[in-house]
Amino acid sequence: MKKLFNVLKIILVILLASPLLISWIPSEVFANIAPADLVESGYLSALFVSFKDLSITLVATLIFAMIISLLLGYVSVLSMKVGRAFTNILNAVESIPSILIALFCYAPVSGYLASHGSSASTTMSLLVFVLAATVTTLPEAVRSIAIPLTDLYNRKYSLSFRSYGFTKPRILFVLMNTVLMRDTFKRVAAGILLKTLVLDCSFGFIIQLGFGSNGTPAHTSPGALIAAYRKALFPDSGSPILFWLPSILLIAISVAFLILLNKDKEENV
Amino acid sequence: MTPIALNNFSIHLGERELLKNCNFSLEAGVSTVIMGPTGTGKSVFLKSIAGILSTQIFTFDGAMKVNGFDAYVNGKKSNFASWTEIEKSGLMFVPAETAMVMNPALTLDQNLALLAPGCRPTIVQRLKDYFSMNFEDFARLYPDEVSGGEMQRITLMILLSRQGNLILIDEPTVNLDRNLRKHFVDFLNKEILVDKKKTFLMVSHDLDFIKRLSLDQVYKLEQGNIHKLDTLPEMEGYEKPVAKKGASGTAIELKDVSQTYFKRGIFGERTFTAFKGLSLKFERSTIYGVTGPSGCGKSSMVKAILRLMDGTKGQITMEGKDLVELKPKESGYDPKAFKPFRNRMTVVQQDSRFSFFPDLTIRNSFKQIAKAGAGGTLEDFIENMKKVGLTEANLDEYPQALSSGEMKRIDIARALTQKPDILMLDEAFAHIDFDTRLKVMEAISDYLAVHATILVLVTHEDFDLRYFVEKSYDFPELVGQFEKV
Repeated sequence: MKKLFNVLKIILVILLASPLLISWIPSEVFANIAPADLVESGYLSALFVSFKDLSITLVATLIFAMIISLLLGYVSVLSMKVGRAFTNILNAVESIPSILIALFCYAPVSGYLASHGSSASTTMSLLVFVLAATVTTLPEAVRSIAIPLTDLYNRKYSLSFRSYGFTKPRILFVLMNTVLMRDTFKRVAAGILLKTLVLDCSFGFIIQLGFGSNGTPAHTSPGALIAAYRKALFPDSGSPILFWLPSILLIAISVAFLILLNKDKEENV
Repeated sequence: MTPIALNNFSIHLGERELLKNCNFSLEAGVSTVIMGPTGTGKSVFLKSIAGILSTQIFTFDGAMKVNGFDAYVNGKKSNFASWTEIEKSGLMFVPAETAMVMNPALTLDQNLALLAPGCRPTIVQRLKDYFSMNFEDFARLYPDEVSGGEMQRITLMILLSRQGNLILIDEPTVNLDRNLRKHFVDFLNKEILVDKKKTFLMVSHDLDFIKRLSLDQVYKLEQGNIHKLDTLPEMEGYEKPVAKKGASGTAIELKDVSQTYFKRGIFGERTFTAFKGLSLKFERSTIYGVTGPSGCGKSSMVKAILRLMDGTKGQITMEGKDLVELKPKESGYDPKAFKPFRNRMTVVQQDSRFSFFPDLTIRNSFKQIAKAGAGGTLEDFIENMKKVGLTEANLDEYPQALSSGEMKRIDIARALTQKPDILMLDEAFAHIDFDTRLKVMEAISDYLAVHATILVLVTHEDFDLRYFVEKSYDFPELVGQFEKV
């Protein structure tokens, strides 16, 4: 029964997160089944591009942020001095709203964005965004790894394993590979995805609302699409579906990440 | 209403059947203890009643009702809503590791309000009456700001003063020092066991402790069956094994040693003094016992000798070498000059679950440990496991599938296999029943006869002092910090 429930849960997560996968199929495939006005206005194609870009951002941020988090988490426990320094820096970063960090990161490259073509500008935008998203997700991610790792080392395994002659780096490496820590990593990954999703969409929304001129980030995001079609909510300004479709899909993806977060927490109880 | 009623209830751990078709029940208002040898599943049984046993590791058969509510039906654990009802009906569980229930982010007063709402005046009064503690002095402190002994007293009193009708208590003496134990017995007899509105169920292997309590009935859990005992077993049957002697002579000497340590709490780091002015000698082939209240620095002394702590001052000399000078800091590595000493020392720590790799079988863990230079041969390990009452089959089990007592014995077997020159046992017998304990003590004594080892046992149990230790030191007396216990 429990296994069946778990299988159903996995199916539900895949279904909810499926917009990210479907976005990789050419939008033309759906041209015949989608309403004609969505196809002709270019909305369908924009929708697919925005979710495709979102999936690239999520995967790129996940990989980059996880590598950095694992490294910082490990080093923080390995050396108390380094750990203390990181804690102070990350605490300072955490006190700044994520959206401001993202905007701040774009400031030094605005000249580059203005002077280069669309392809180079998009790549640079993606790189800067991944960096900004990583910076905003790091404090929580590093803390989530360092706290249980410190607990495992200092309170539990260090005494015996150090007395056997194992070095601290080796003990920490072994502990990083335990089931408990692997569950922690899954939860950290889900947290990074959720936070990046929120940041990506709110950043896209703000860029669409406030900029649009030469030199601003080429950040295609479902958030930008929602901002672009926000007027569709008003009478006689188009179909409200143009606003609600990306919103609902984003909610579905967020719920999928929340289920992943909750699933791991339940298993750790 | 019957507080606990089992109907053909069984508990399985993989292939092992820890409880077989049990029809045990408890009447309201009675006080009961379940005894039994180490590893029979006493704590597992109690945790199944408390509903905190992992359904991913353990499986069940039959049914159980707690306070009239279905806890398990046809081997299936009831849902969260049912267990919430059970908890609301008055179920109180006191784990062996009491301090773990405290939330480190809350003050002791906030923890009290969360764990035992409306019971503050009773707790304050009881702490004053039985442990001579003024709670107001601690109320605004966080758990990491009080000593282990103080924390234990406060937590026990909070957990046992909650409102409820069914008290489940798991091996309460495992972490209690001798002084605290006396007061705790007094408290249980005067406040808990006289209250016939409450049903009391305890599991313990500590016959010495059980004998001092006014309990109504005694059961024994053996080979998956619970049966009632008419009288408590006698303790007179035990005999101190004859200590066998190897070569003698001073082997390690501590001269004016003091130890400080850092404690990282949620509000940063603080420096504490574990002990100061410690001077003593440990000779080979003598069984030394070190006693003292929780938090007085006994375990820190063990870590200082093993050179696994920063902040040691003074001299710890062995064979003319000062170990503190050879390794002044614990940075996670051993300097080259200290490495030969490292391989000659071993420790059996308080919680032996953490002496083996968490995701490896005991066999594979041992292979890794042996590779690191602290193992000996697998054949010797198996031989020592048999000496401490275990079988070769235990080698292929994972740490989480073994009881605390079994893990302790495996750790002791591992330590003996290493053939150390310095063997430090930190509360090494805490989870082992007395019969098995004598067997383990004999195995250690046999080892001492062949290897002239420095053996230091940190303990708070009278049994160990009576039946094992040859020379005992009262730690607070040694360091002059506290009054004589």
